[in-house]
Formats: sequence, C-alpha cells, structure tokens
Amino acid sequence: MIPPLVTGISPKEGPAGTKITIRGENLGLRANDLISVQICGGECSFEWQSKNKIIARTGINGVKGKGDVIVTTSSGGVGNCTVQFRTYVESIGPLKESAVWVEETPIQSLTWGQRRMVTSSYHSQEDPLSLSIEGNDKKFTEDLREIFPENSGDLSRENFSPYWFLLENHHATSFDDLKAGYSYLKRKVEGQKEGQLSFLKTHVGAVIDQLDTMMKLKDKIDNNGEVEIAERIHNLQGTISQSIDSSHALFDDVLMRREKADKSRAALSVLNRYKFLFCLPMSIQKNADNNEFDIIVNDYARVKNLYSGKVDIPLIKRVLSEIDEIILEVRKNLHNKLKEMPQAVEQQKKFVKCLINLEIQQFGTKQYERLKINDPAWDSLFCRARYIEETFKRTYEEFQEREVQAKENNSVKRDQNSLPIRVLFCEEINEIAAGQFPDLWRLGQSYFTGELRGINEPKPGNFKQIILNVIEKFCCYIRSSILPNYYQKFSSVPPWTSNSSQQALISTWLPTCLRYLRITYSSLIRLDLPNEVLDVVLKLIDELRLFCLLTILKKSIDKVKRLDEKEGWDMKVEEFPGATALPEKFEEILAESLDEGQQMCLQLEVRENPLFDGIHNLEGYHEVSKIIETALGCFSTVIEELATQRSDDEIHPLPRHNITGFPVNTSLNDSKSTAISTITITWEHRLLYCLANAAYCNKMFINNLGNLFTKYGYPIPKLALENGRSNMNMVFANLLEIYVELKNDTIVSHIEPSMFSSDNFSWNTIEKCDKLSFWANQCLDNIVGVYLEIFAVSPFLLRPILEQIIQTIAEELSRLMNSVEQFNNCGRVQAILDIKMIRDSLKLYNNERAKLSFNEAMDAIPKLSNDENRYVDELLKSIKIQRRIQLMCLNVVNPS
Amino acid sequence: MSKKPSTGPISLHKVIMVGSGGVGKSALTLQFMYDEFVEDYEPTKADSYRKKVVLDGEEVQIDILDTAGQEDYAAIRDNYFRSGEGFLCVFSITDDESFQATQEFREQILRVKNDENIPFLLVGNKCDLNDKRKVPLSECQARAQQWGGVPYVETSAKTRENVDKVFFDLMREIRSRKTEDSTKASGRAKDKSKRRKLKCTLL
Ligand SMILES: Nc1nc2c(ncn2[C@@H]2O[C@H](COP(=O)(O)OP(=O)(O)O)[C@@H](O)[C@H]2O)c(=O)[nH]1
Ligand SMILES: [Mg+2]
Repeated sequence: MIPPLVTGISPKEGPAGTKITIRGENLGLRANDLISVQICGGECSFEWQSKNKIIARTGINGVKGKGDVIVTTSSGGVGNCTVQFRTYVESIGPLKESAVWVEETPIQSLTWGQRRMVTSSYHSQEDPLSLSIEGNDKKFTEDLREIFPENSGDLSRENFSPYWFLLENHHATSFDDLKAGYSYLKRKVEGQKEGQLSFLKTHVGAVIDQLDTMMKLKDKIDNNGEVEIAERIHNLQGTISQSIDSSHALFDDVLMRREKADKSRAALSVLNRYKFLFCLPMSIQKNADNNEFDIIVNDYARVKNLYSGKVDIPLIKRVLSEIDEIILEVRKNLHNKLKEMPQAVEQQKKFVKCLINLEIQQFGTKQYERLKINDPAWDSLFCRARYIEETFKRTYEEFQEREVQAKENNSVKRDQNSLPIRVLFCEEINEIAAGQFPDLWRLGQSYFTGELRGINEPKPGNFKQIILNVIEKFCCYIRSSILPNYYQKFSSVPPWTSNSSQQALISTWLPTCLRYLRITYSSLIRLDLPNEVLDVVLKLIDELRLFCLLTILKKSIDKVKRLDEKEGWDMKVEEFPGATALPEKFEEILAESLDEGQQMCLQLEVRENPLFDGIHNLEGYHEVSKIIETALGCFSTVIEELATQRSDDEIHPLPRHNITGFPVNTSLNDSKSTAISTITITWEHRLLYCLANAAYCNKMFINNLGNLFTKYGYPIPKLALENGRSNMNMVFANLLEIYVELKNDTIVSHIEPSMFSSDNFSWNTIEKCDKLSFWANQCLDNIVGVYLEIFAVSPFLLRPILEQIIQTIAEELSRLMNSVEQFNNCGRVQAILDIKMIRDSLKLYNNERAKLSFNEAMDAIPKLSNDENRYVDELLKSIKIQRRIQLMCLNVVNPS
Repeated sequence: MSKKPSTGPISLHKVIMVGSGGVGKSALTLQFMYDEFVEDYEPTKADSYRKKVVLDGEEVQIDILDTAGQEDYAAIRDNYFRSGEGFLCVFSITDDESFQATQEFREQILRVKNDENIPFLLVGNKCDLNDKRKVPLSECQARAQQWGGVPYVETSAKTRENVDKVFFDLMREIRSRKTEDSTKASGRAKDKSKRRKLKCTLL
C-alpha cells in the first residue's frame, strides 16, 4: 500500500476556482479509487485521469495562502505532497488579464452575470467622485488585500470598503480635490433621493412614447387571434430544438476528437515506457561498460517507480526480474570496482554511493538476498589502506633490487652527482605517503561522518589502528633504508639487504632525506591527525635529526685529522706567544659543522621538540659529546705528530755547532715543509711551536670552545672539553720530555767531556784558580743559547723547560763531584766557584730538587776555609760583573 | 522501497525554466518529471514540480518552477526569478524569435540575481525538428560563449534526448556553487566541527 504523492501542480497559484493539473505517483488505480483531493484544506472537485494525473478545481472554502495538495485514495490512503498551492483573492473582470482561463462553471455563472453588468458600468462610468485618477496608479492592491482581508475595493461588492477604494484610487489626490469630489457625490445622491416623480418628469417624453407603443401592440394582438400565435410558437420551438441537436452534434464531435487525442497520447506514452523498459537491460549493460553508474541508478529508480507494485503481466515481470539480475551483476561489479586500486577518492566514493543506492532500491527482491555486502564503505577504506602498505612494500623491494643491479653493472664508475638509490627510495616513499595517505584519511572522514552509510549498520574496524600501522610501516621502511641497524630494534619490516659501503655513501644525503620527511610530516599535520599518529613520525624525525647531526660532526673529525697540512707556523695568537694559527683552524672546522648541524638538525620546524632539551635525549647528547672528544683527541694527536715527525729531508741530522749544540741555519734547507715563510724553521722550533700550541690549548683555547657551543645553541659538552684538555696536557708533557731530552743531550752530557777535555785533568792537580772553568763557561753559554731559542718562540715555555734542564744539570754535577777521588786546595776553590756560579746564575729556575742536588754537589767537596770562601765570593762578584749582560736575561723575573 | 539511510536533510536545488512561450519548457519539465510528452500547447502561468533524484550517488531534491514565457507576465517574473538557484533558458531551434528573446531573459536574470556566475544553461529545444531549424548551431554556441561560456545543449522533449542531461548538469553547477559559497562563508570553522565529530568516533 503506497500512499499517493503529489510532485507537480500546474499552475502553482491562483484564486478560488482555478483549474489545476495535479501530477505525481499512485494517484489512484482507477477513477473510483480516488476518494478526495484537498487543496489548502478545502475540498476540490476533481477528475481522475491516470495514476499519475488528476485535474482538479479549487473550491471556495479553502484557506487563503500557501497550502498542501493532498490526494486520498482507497488503495493508498492519505497522501503526501512535495509542492504547495497558493490561493489568493482576485476579482476578475472582462478587462482584467488573467493567467488562468476563467471558465463558465455553474459555481460562478450567477455572480458572473451580475458582476459583468456592474463592473462594466463601473468601468465605463467616470470616477464616482468625478475626479481624474491620473497619477493614481493602483500599486497597493496586494497590500490592501492584506490590510482589509474581509473587504474589497469594488463598488459593487457587499463588502465594499471606502478606505480601500480611496487608498487604491486616490492616494495621490489632494485634499481640496477630495472635498470637491465629496460635494459632487453628495449632490448626486441628493438628486437620486428626489424620487421617481422627478425621474418621470425628466423623461416624460419617452414615457409617453412607450405607453403609445404598448397600446398599439395590444390592438394588434386583439385583432389577429390566438391560433396564429400558437402556430408561431410551435415553429419557434422546432427551430430551437433543431439548433440544440446540431450544437450537440458539434460538441460530441469535439469531445470525440479530444478523446481520441487523449487515447493516442496515452498510447504513445505507454509505448515510450515499454520502450524504456525493454531497452533497459541493454542500456544498463552499456552504461555499466562505460562506467556511467549514475545513469543506471536513475534509470533503475525510474523503472522501479513506473512498474513497482502489482504488475501481473508475466512478460513485464520477466523483464523486471531480468533487470534485477543485471542490477545484481552491476552491484557485484561495483563492489569490485570500489576495491580496485589505485583510483581517486572521489571516484571510490562515487562507486560506494552508487552501490548503496542500488542496494536500497533492490532491497526486498530475491536478487538482493543473493548478494549481501555488509559495509561497502568499509571495504573501500580497508582496500585503500592495504594498497598503501602494499605500495610501500613493493617500492621498498624494487629499490633494493635496483641497488643490487646498479652495483653489478657499474660498481667502478659511479656518477658522484647522482643520488644514491636509497635516497631516491626515501624520496619516493615520502611522495607516496604524502600523496596517498591524505586520501585514506579523507575517505575515513567521509566514512565516519556517515556520508557513505549504506543499508546496513556500519561495522567499522579499528580505523585508528589501521592508520597507525600505515604510518608505522612508512617510518620503518625509511629507517631500514637510511638509518644504521641499531635504530631498527623493533622494526616490523625486513632489513634492507645491507651493504655498509652504500650506507656510508648516503651520509652526505641525510639532510636531503630529513627534508623529504619533514615535508611529509607537515602535510600530515595539516590533516589534523591524532597526536598518537603524528608522534610516530616525530620519533623518526628526531632519530634522523640526531643521526644527521652525528654524521655532520663526524665529518669534522676527518678534517681535523688532515689539519697537519694546514700548519703554516705563523704565530698569530696575541695572548699566547708561540701558539700558531692551528687552534684557530680547528675552531673554524668545529664552528662550521656546529653551524651546519644547527641549521639542519637543531632548528625546529612545526610540531618538533628541541633535540637536546634537559633530560630529553641525554643519550643523544652523550653521542655528540663523544664525537667532540674524539675530535679534540685527534687535534692533540695532530699537534703531537707535527712536533715529532720529521719530514724526509730532515731525517738526516742537521749539522750542528759542536759547542752550542744549536742547529746551524743553512740556506740548503729549502724543503717544502719548512720553507713556508722566509725564515727557515728547524725541527726544534717546530717542537717549541707545538709545545706552545699544546700549552695554549690546555690553558685557554679548549675552555673558550664552550662559548662556541653556546653560540650555536648546543649545551656545552663539559666532560668532552675536560678530557680534551687532559689529553692536551699529556701531549704537552710528552713533547716537553722530548725537548728536554734533546737539550740535555747537548748541555748536560757535554759537561763531563768538557770538564775532562785536557788529557790529564784532575781536581787534584789544579794550580791556579782565578776564573771560571772552561766547562762551566760552556755550560752557561749553552743554557743562554737554549734560553734564547725558547724565548724567541714563547717566554711561557721558559720555566717548564729550564727547570727541567737545570735540575738535570744539578744532578749531573752532584754525580760528578761525588765521584771525584780527591781535590787539592785549588781544585776545591775552583769547584765551589764553578758550581756556585752556575747555581746563582740560574737561581730563578732552581726548583727544590735542583737546590738539593746543588747542595749535594757542594757537600761532596771538602769544606773551604773562611779566607777561601771570601776569595770565592769576591771572585764570583767580579765574574758576575764581567758577564752581567749575558746573565741579565736569565734574571728577568717575568720575561715576555 | 524500504528503509532509507539517515544522512540528515537532503539538499534542495531550485531550478527555473525560462524562455518564450511555446518553446517547450513545460514539455521538457514533464518529460523529465514523468516521462511523458505533451503534444498540445497549453500556456503556462507558473507550475511547480519537485521530486527526489540521485545526483552522483547522493540523494537530492530538485524543485522546478515552470514559468510563463509570455510578455504579459514580465513583471511577475522578477519575483519568481529571485527564488531560483539555477536557470534553464530555453528556446526552440525552429523559432528565431524565441532565440532572440533569450537575450532579454538572460539580462533580467542577471539583474534580479545580481550575479554573473549564476548557474545557467542555454537550451535549444526541439532538436528532433532539425530539418526545420531556423537558428544555426554556430550562432547558439557563439551566444553561449559570449555569455561567459555558459554551457549550450540541444534537447528534444519529444525524443527525450539530453533531457536528463540538462537538469543534472544544472544541478551539478548549483551544488558546486553552494559548496563553494559555504566554504567561503564559514571557512575553517565548519571543517573543524566536522573533524571534531570524526575524532569522537575515532578515539
Ligand atoms: N517536435 C517537438 N515539439 C515540441 C518539443 N517540445 C515542445 N514541443 C511542442 O511545442 C508546443 C509548446 O510546448 P510547451 O511545452 O507547452 O511550451 P512552453 O510554453 O515553453 O511551456 C507543444 O505543442 C509541444 O508539444 C520538442 O522537443 N519537439
Ligand atoms: Mg509552458
């Protein structure tokens, strides 16, 4: 039982009595099935035409304004409508244009006749106030209808309202004119009141004429007799009935023609419908082939509408069921199509919607029962997710394969500028993710807003988990391809068929990969994904940032290792004479990588956290610290090696002055490593420079490096700097030892030979002592020579070096004195003089051990008498005066 | 048919048929609505039709106002046009006068709607009578082009050629126009509410 539905009315508005064509569905199976038609709440007269069409005429009792058109049938009950009719009041005269044809129906014919006379007389007459109505356009008629719903401006109406009339016709007339009109009207009414007598008076001539005529007529009738009249009447009657007959005949003819026209039209439309029905299976097939599923949906709806319900004709039934079979196929087809990938989301949604629509329409047929699809929208969602994962996997395998092939084909010759395969993979997978993931998410949104809801309750799976899985996979693939193994502890994907040389090759491309990933990340952020999902990507970004930073910093280690090539031996450091430009170069390298790292990895983009933020990522900073420590260690090694390694041409020992032990500056020494400046730099000088560098680094430079870290936004790696310093300290100690050893060779080991240079020298055979011994003189000369050598490089180095040397001298003297078997008197005085002279000259650099050894040396000599002592002191004084220029430098307390 | 999916109120697209009298506006409307062709000519005043159709998989309602073409009603047309969201401007390819008249209709619509881009199709009807064609195809297309590239389609209410097409094409334009407007009007605010709703279902 399907209720009637009105979907069209023609016209949609009009006054009471309008003839209306009503169209729609199920408007009655036959004429007597139609019970009533109500328009705007009023009953209508009606004529049933077909189950889709009724002709009705609105009654006078309907409500004015907009109202429903309700058709009631006994087969379908009270119906519905999608359109509304508007009734309004309109007086219609012969001079008024009308959109509807005013028919001469019995309801109106009475008033019609009256009205015509009145209104025509009104219209032909002047204005009742005898005023011109020019400039008084009737523009308020609609409004007046609302203000005076009960009244009318029509003079002939019972409900005439003077207000209406005046407002309508004289809203622009001046007050004086109105007054004049009023008096005119009054005069006219007065005139009419004078009564019939005055009327007769004015028309007396005509009245007498009429009376005469009537008298004549009476005479004629009296003369002619009654028979003739009767005959005439009879004739008249015959003519009248004849004309009635012929008019009937005429009318019947028209009616018949109309009926015929109706019939052939009905036949045509039936034919059309059958054509549509019988062609439908074919056209569905055709449209399905062309993917025009919309048309199928609409055609199917049309056929369902035209032939739904009781169709008893077996042929039609067969066609209908055939159509349902085809629709079933179409549904299957659609279900497959919506799972097909790749395709655009909109396309997929369209398939889902068409499928859902067909299901709704086919619901209830036996074909519907044969294919039940639970939740097609979910299927489409699931397939899309699976497709993305598959694409990831396929791409992953494909690029691995490519890498292997590339290696086989031209492992030798590789274009340095072309991106490594893994980086290409990284770019590709990011493109896939950024391109396809938003589609998945949007489809999901459509799903959960109910846009794709079908006939059954939706049965969503765990969409969030699916999303998480996709993103997780994406991250794992990137990890496998570009990050080292230890980042892949919990990876859900197979590792990249590893090849560590390739791994090393991509390190310079890591920032590029990071860029790709960040672009994807920001596009994911724009989708407004749940935080949990975004955090998965964020974690990978953090890992990549850290790894990238470590790689950048590690690169600096290699550069540090090659710093030795950069040493130019030019002293540049103001606050520490002797230190070269090398530490500055080290700082440059470090600054460069810190800067690069800061730009690539520390700078934050949307929704990222600082890489080293308090306790966050302590482990990561530990790694950084370790690299810095290594770099500093390498730097120490560079300094040490620069000091100890002699280049090839220096392996031959330089000719030395056999007394001072000084290397002779030869112009022959033109080797590349030493001829950087015009001054030739000897090995000892380099040793001293390196010592100065080590001391400078240890005392100032490394500590100042902390500022560099602060400047680029890194936490200061205190431990690394501290360890670097202690390393440097060790280098200093080593180099010091080498240098002291070297000098001891020339100074200390010369004491004994020079002491016993004359063949039979003995402390027991000295005859005269009025000056320093030869050996003491030579020793002092040598010390001053070393002093000058050091001083030329760095006064800071004087104390540590000289203290060591003096100590060794003192020890040597103590050893020598203790091994003397016997002193004669002169020998005793000479020995004390020599030792005291050496001791006093160097007293600024005597440490405790040196003092002790000097004392031991003097204790080994038998005691001098007071006279002898005085003699020694005086002699000492005069020698010091003699040599004061030479000794002066040794006594400068703070040489610089 | 049984239970419908409950997806909120379905959208309504208001279409108005304009064009001179006798060009086939009513015939097109009735063919689209009821698959029937009316041979005889009854002047229309203003007819109203409304039904559900499926547009790109989405169920929508189309409301058709079939108007009078006659000069006499020019004044009341203003009122009708105001409520229209899209217009099918019909002429008969067998009647040059009706083609000339479209210019005036177009101007009236633009004046009333005050919108250059109102969804609008120029429809040349009675294309089954091609042998009696009075308006060359090139001229029709030129006019459509001149009107800012509105689509031009030839139809036949008699053979049903392109009847569905003109109504569906117009509805698509109306729909895309509406989504454009609503995104312009409410911008992100609307998107957000949608998203929030989604998250609730999700989490
Ligand atoms: N051959 C033919 N006749 C048509 C076509 N459309 C309408 N007609 C006829 O043209 C006349 C006027 O049609 P109608 O729809 O009432 O015109 P309207 O005034 O624009 O509504 C009617 O007699 C129709 O049968 C058509 O496509 N082909
Ligand atoms: Mg019409």
